[in-house]
Amino acid sequence: MAEVMRMQNITKIYPNGFVANKDITFAVGEHEIHALVGENGAGKTTLMKILFGMEAPQEGKIFINGKEEKIANPLDAIAKGVGMVHQHFMLVPSLTVAENVTLGAEPMKNGLFDFDGAVKATQEIADKYNFNVEALQKVRDLSVGQMQKVEILKALYKGARLLILDEPTAVLTPQETEELFEQLFKLRDSGVSIIFISHKLEEVMRICSKVTVLRHGRCMGSLDIEGLNEAAISKLMVGRDVVLKIDKEDPKPGKPVVEIKDLVKINSIGKNVLDGVDFTIHEGEVVGIAGVEGNGQTELSEVLAGLTGFTSGDVKLNGTSIKGKSVREIRDQGMAYIAEDRMVEGVAGDMSIKMNIVADRFTKPDFKKGLFMDAKKINDIADQYIKDFEILCDGREQPVRMLSGGNIQKVVVAREFTSGANFILACQPTRGIDVGTAEMIRKTIVRKSREEGTATLLISADLNEVLECSDRLLVMRKGKVVAAFPKANQVSEETLGEYMLGVKEMTQSEMEGLL
Amino acid sequence: MTIDWIAFIAEGIRMATPLVFAALAALICNRAGMFNMGVEGMILCSALGAVIFAHYGGSVWIGLLGGIIIGLATGMFIAFASLTGKADLYLTCIAFNLMATGGTVFVMYLLTGEKSTTSGAFRSYQIPVVDIPIIKDIPVLGRIISGQSLITYIAAAAVFFMWFFLKRTRIGLRIRAVGENPKAAESVGISVNKIGYISFAICGVLAGLSGAFMSMSWVTFFMKNMVNGRGYIGLSAQNMAKGEPVGSALASLLFGFTDALATTLQNQTNFPVEFLEMLPYLATIFAIIITSIIAINKRRRIEQGAAK
Amino acid sequence: MNKTQKIESMMEVVRILAGLVIAYAIALAILFAISEDPIYIVQQFILGPFSSPRRIGTVINLAIPFTICGLSMCFMYAVNKFNLVGEGIFMLSACMVTWVSLLLGPGLPSVVMLPIMFIVAILTGIVVSFIPAIMDRKFNANVVVVSLMLNSVIQSLATWILRYQVRDSSISYLGSREIPESIQLPKILGSFRVQSGLIVAIICVIVVAILFYKTAFGWKMRLVGANPRFATAVGLSSISISFIAQLAGGAFAGIAGATEMMCNYTRFQWTVTTQHGFDGLLVAVLAKKNPVLVPIGALFLAYIRIGADVVNTSGDIPTEFVTVIQGIIILLVAAESFLSGTKNKLIFKAAEKEEKEKEAKAA
Repeated sequence: MAEVMRMQNITKIYPNGFVANKDITFAVGEHEIHALVGENGAGKTTLMKILFGMEAPQEGKIFINGKEEKIANPLDAIAKGVGMVHQHFMLVPSLTVAENVTLGAEPMKNGLFDFDGAVKATQEIADKYNFNVEALQKVRDLSVGQMQKVEILKALYKGARLLILDEPTAVLTPQETEELFEQLFKLRDSGVSIIFISHKLEEVMRICSKVTVLRHGRCMGSLDIEGLNEAAISKLMVGRDVVLKIDKEDPKPGKPVVEIKDLVKINSIGKNVLDGVDFTIHEGEVVGIAGVEGNGQTELSEVLAGLTGFTSGDVKLNGTSIKGKSVREIRDQGMAYIAEDRMVEGVAGDMSIKMNIVADRFTKPDFKKGLFMDAKKINDIADQYIKDFEILCDGREQPVRMLSGGNIQKVVVAREFTSGANFILACQPTRGIDVGTAEMIRKTIVRKSREEGTATLLISADLNEVLECSDRLLVMRKGKVVAAFPKANQVSEETLGEYMLGVKEMTQSEMEGLL
Repeated sequence: MTIDWIAFIAEGIRMATPLVFAALAALICNRAGMFNMGVEGMILCSALGAVIFAHYGGSVWIGLLGGIIIGLATGMFIAFASLTGKADLYLTCIAFNLMATGGTVFVMYLLTGEKSTTSGAFRSYQIPVVDIPIIKDIPVLGRIISGQSLITYIAAAAVFFMWFFLKRTRIGLRIRAVGENPKAAESVGISVNKIGYISFAICGVLAGLSGAFMSMSWVTFFMKNMVNGRGYIGLSAQNMAKGEPVGSALASLLFGFTDALATTLQNQTNFPVEFLEMLPYLATIFAIIITSIIAINKRRRIEQGAAK
Repeated sequence: MNKTQKIESMMEVVRILAGLVIAYAIALAILFAISEDPIYIVQQFILGPFSSPRRIGTVINLAIPFTICGLSMCFMYAVNKFNLVGEGIFMLSACMVTWVSLLLGPGLPSVVMLPIMFIVAILTGIVVSFIPAIMDRKFNANVVVVSLMLNSVIQSLATWILRYQVRDSSISYLGSREIPESIQLPKILGSFRVQSGLIVAIICVIVVAILFYKTAFGWKMRLVGANPRFATAVGLSSISISFIAQLAGGAFAGIAGATEMMCNYTRFQWTVTTQHGFDGLLVAVLAKKNPVLVPIGALFLAYIRIGADVVNTSGDIPTEFVTVIQGIIILLVAAESFLSGTKNKLIFKAAEKEEKEKEAKAA
């Protein structure tokens, strides 16, 4: 089989000194769906950004169809037939599908942008590959699955012969994933080679013919899928057997800690992002929320954390309503918050580890000595937590931005787990960090609920995580709770997918007693 | 006190001309995602440039061209510092405006030996006033619409050009894409920096026209700090109109009338001149308050579920 | 990682120094190009400020308002609000001090008058900076635009006070009546003739430094400036903190204006704002919002200003060229790309070395 692309001895070191790729060689053949796997931070995205001309490697060569090429920018990559579908969609919401698809290579007529031509061209490709999207729709009105199709159309419109898909299934429901795979097979048969980046080994086993494994920026080998099993790949990826099971005793729920009553929130464009959410979290239990991202989970966590208000309904924390309360007051009532995006709401990157650790409590009287801060006490606490949570750093004064993702998250949890709260709101607590840290965080969540009686709300897009860590499991769709299960680890992913996608919906009486 | 209302309206339109250009100049940068406060200094430099070119070139048209060239050059300077040099755009613009204030005086002194105005040393040139046949004979309307400076008509045309440009051209589409989601634009090979430079270039031409109007039509010489916040007023005008060309022009017109009101009252009453001078700035501040109250109330109404 | 941190902080210093050197070189080049006697002029520009104790004193005197204005901008800059109202406050504060002191008359002793004057100055600063700050807080209005508009309004207001309230009609130019001797601050340090405002400036630096690094409010401000959404999420009220920081910044701009008035003038005579607010921004940028470094930035700025003044009196060069140099310095210091290539190379080398060491160890 002829090689369409080869990356030879690629090395990339970021300005902060992080070695993202070290001497990686990676090749893709014709009519091939080639999996690129590795843990988060193993260097997959960086390698693909290099191939797509978004990052320049310090060393290494790239060959396309056997010819050495310099790819200086995405335009170069596109001209050489490389197309990329990014993990986070690269779409302009206020423009139409046709405008988004043709952007960068717009059809022209009389020196002006030919809108009708763009619509026609878009519809033609969509029909050719059986993509069910409307060229005249505005992108902001599309579902996530449709947006992804627009992304693939963008690449195809520009003549991509090698398509990079960066974790395409991360945001899709199981059913949408099925549809995507069908389309990928069709593309492969029509001569497009595909690089499929994923964490999900069963997907890799199903659709790919070759797999390349990266670990800590190094290539661990390229293998044929035939004759491999998931365990073998996972061994290459992490170097040890992945522990997916979390041992835990049954919860002993106590009195209610968080009571959410008929919560409604209407956002600035008039959409009901929370539409009558109603459930309770008790002492000593972990309640998980699953759902396709963008179905109200973020808004729910923002309301609970006090970052935004809500339209109607009520939320009680330890018996007192949080309506109209400031974040400070809600935290004093007993809330701790692990934010969804740690760089945005979890830390101040330019500030020291010390300041980040005590950020939620230094205003309290016991950290003061007269008019000033009690420097010694704060230093001692920072050193203590750096030790307890095994934060890898040069000391408490180091700016947080210089740490790795996992260690930054450790700074976040060092603060939130020790705040003395009896309600922990954990949003995507292990997203994008190394397995070791993720395991520590998951275990701590469970341990705190069992030993200290903490009530936890775990919102995560990682199905494995919600299924394993949670006691009770709820599913959110379109701002509502649409399903509830008493024991999370007994729910299958298929069942979950049906509720997430809205094929099925539980009635109030079915969920009775589980909210 | 009697006020000649027709003259007042004509004066309002005249005063609005540099503001319309300033607003459009800020608008194009805003649509590309950049808040360009440097418009103020760009206009000031262009105003001086226009006078210098006209004096040494011996023609008002060379002066106009000179204003545009200087506008373009200063636009490129800011673009270079913020896009290529990656300096914070706010800081860049503040620094640039500072340089413009001192630099124009410096250059003026080198060329004329004067530090406050070029009126003594340089010949004054005026951009011709256009009398529109037929319309000029219509009572009232004729006095308002006809007999304005050529640049005022260009300003009116520029508003519609801008609207068409953003809506129907490829660059316009790309500018909107870059302004809304630069990463998306970059991922399809559109160079965000290049779009930034193009926006700054268009911004520069418009600022140049604004400057040329100031020193060759509003008055016929350059004087120290003559732009006096008009760039900022234009910036606020387009901000209020959320980057829509026609709305920005209407907002600029409103400020132009405030300016005209101040001048008219100054001539016809003995109200302390200092308070009249405050009017355009106070009007801008109030306009900002009012537009944001409207926006906040609207959002609040939606969030409370009244408007479904 | 440790090495990266060291390289980063070293390059930061190198960048600022290189920026100053380049700007200085440009200044010299301009002087060379336009002067008829370049050698003499350049010599005057570099050495002029040190040519007599009196001149050194002038540099220090000029650095006094720059320092206090720099501190004022540190507050604004610390919470990432480019509230430029300090420019207007500086003028209005001097004007208010004049007005109030003239109303109170020469009867009261200095011990009573001086505290009153500083209270007037601080109140002026707080009241004026309240306007853009509250508009930012309540209406989400753009602080930069509002504060610039406000500066124009203040300029007219102060001129009106000068013309109609405090004007001395017996002098030939537009100026106020003479302020009471009780608030005319004396010169100190003998032949250097340094203003006693130096003491005010030193106290201000100490107070602000302690406030920034030792108190909860300083920590809050720095956290809000570093990441406002994070500060909100951990329970700090980002909006009120940046609001209060702006008022505090306004207060210091007020102190700066009053100090300048009482040290340097006997009559209020400004009809346009004095650029001190913008100079303060430059100083704050040079000092990287660190109040301890503010006096150094202020001294440097004062040095090139006095150099330009010397050149102006002894040659044919207008002082305005300094504002161009000032702009270039801000740009070079603010430009991240400036020397970033060198920095990245150093970090790359360090990382590579570390890798090799690791590999060697593993082997």
